Amino acid sequence: MKTIELQINGSTHEVSIEADETLLQVLRNRLDLTGTKKGCDSGGCGCCSVQVDGKVVYSCMMYAAGAAGKAITTIEGLGGGGTALDPLQQAFIDAGAVQCGYCTCGMIMNASELLATTKNPGEDQIRHAIAGNLCRCTGYTKIVDAIKLAAARTGG
Amino acid sequence: MALNLDDYYLPASLQEATELLQRYGAGAMVVAGGTFVHGLEVRGLLTETVALVDISRLGLRGIGASSKGGVSIQALTTLAEVAAAPLIGKNPALAAINDALHYPPRQILNAATVGGCVAAAAPLYDLPAAFLALDGQVQTSLAGRQRSIPLDEFFVGLFESALQRGEIITAIDIPAPAARTASAFLKLETNANDLSLLNVAVRLTLDKAGNCADCRIILGGGVGETYVRATGAEAALRGQAAGEAGFAAAAAAVVDDFEAVEDHRASAAYRRHIAQVYVRRTLATALARLG
Ligand SMILES: Cc1cc2nc3c(=O)[nH]c(=O)nc-3n(C[C@H](O)[C@H](O)[C@H](O)COP(=O)(O)OP(=O)(O)OC[C@H]3O[C@@H](n4cnc5c(N)ncnc54)[C@H](O)[C@@H]3O)c2cc1C
Ligand code: FES
Ligand code: FES
Repeated sequence: MKTIELQINGSTHEVSIEADETLLQVLRNRLDLTGTKKGCDSGGCGCCSVQVDGKVVYSCMMYAAGAAGKAITTIEGLGGGGTALDPLQQAFIDAGAVQCGYCTCGMIMNASELLATTKNPGEDQIRHAIAGNLCRCTGYTKIVDAIKLAAARTGG
Repeated sequence: MALNLDDYYLPASLQEATELLQRYGAGAMVVAGGTFVHGLEVRGLLTETVALVDISRLGLRGIGASSKGGVSIQALTTLAEVAAAPLIGKNPALAAINDALHYPPRQILNAATVGGCVAAAAPLYDLPAAFLALDGQVQTSLAGRQRSIPLDEFFVGLFESALQRGEIITAIDIPAPAARTASAFLKLETNANDLSLLNVAVRLTLDKAGNCADCRIILGGGVGETYVRATGAEAALRGQAAGEAGFAAAAAAVVDDFEAVEDHRASAAYRRHIAQVYVRRTLATALARLG
């Protein structure tokens, strides 16, 4: 075991980990940040997506030790980290883009990078951006609608 | 990831990284973006690995003009950073690079590095095919000694490269392209989650009369253990008018340049057929960029 410091959602967490633990394992199992989901554990589904220094990555493919010192944002950190919802979270509810919900947090973490870098993304841009996130329920149409809605509400 | 690690190191300098790699020998592996570690592990290639040496804090990140008018991409530059680089994006001669970055998911583009993509020596990867077409050079450092390896000599076998134990890629250099040069990359996949059936990357240079003064044609994907340089196809096109007839001659010749893989994705006969179609299309895409 070794102790590392992780910057998550603006707070510093000191956590003891095994050298081979992924960021996903540490978030869920050691820090109880269970909004980030484990699906395939191998880069194939996207439901473990978090942001590291503002860039969306698969937390199952990143070692926790390697994430030390970087600014990690999980779904719990959106909307200011309190109970207030991020515009994307609200739009997913309003557009009916959540069915079982297992993909939702990863989708939102991905879309959040897209909206931070692209004003008013078109349908093609949205679909290309979320290509690394699978949803087995919605058929994607409402997810795309939700991202468009959030973009419109936040002024593009 | 279920490795039996003694430790995960984050060296702050190339020298420190070298010391760790020497100390652990075969027990150490370099990690850059980390996106291929799972792939290596599930293939049983990391059973001896007890130390991961994460080189992401070494700097070695960014894209610049090299002294001889080419482009130098440092090894820790992420694929997303390459896709966003103005030096590359506006240049038809380098367009194969951006073509090759169209396919990976955003999460991989953000994490995966240029050095890792090349070092992995997986002929299914897209970007190295583009670098090969552009006649790239791999710059490395081993215990303080630098060397330059032509990409043509870099890929030795499946997951095997010319790198020696402990040798770190520091940059990929792309030489200055000749005038009237364009490049392109195309990939055929059955779906976005599966491995590709075939990749083609080309670089095409025209002379004043519009003939092919020079070309490089690279095949990747289901063509075997390493990338293949389609020298027969290149020879069929060189000196010919750059257009449909010349491209058809190159396409006809390409079937003799490689041993098509036969697997559950596609038969060898289908791959031979599709190689011809894709060689033609990729050349036409490059030519259109010279328009
Ligand atoms: C879900 C998913 C989808 C993908 N889709 C695509 C796709 O569409 N097209 C495509 O081309 N690729 C794709 N890939 C593969 C991806 O491009 C590679 O995994 C990535 O480029 C590897 O880079 P890395 O920095 O993450 O390498 P790492 O995983 O960090 O390292 C890979 C190997 O290279 C070695 N290494 C890394 N850096 C160096 C260095 N500087 N010097 C010496 N050795 C080094 C490591 O020791 C290791 O053996 C995909 C991968 C995943 C997981
Ligand atoms: S759990 Fe990380 S991509 Fe599926
Ligand atoms: S809502 Fe069920 S997987 Fe997307």
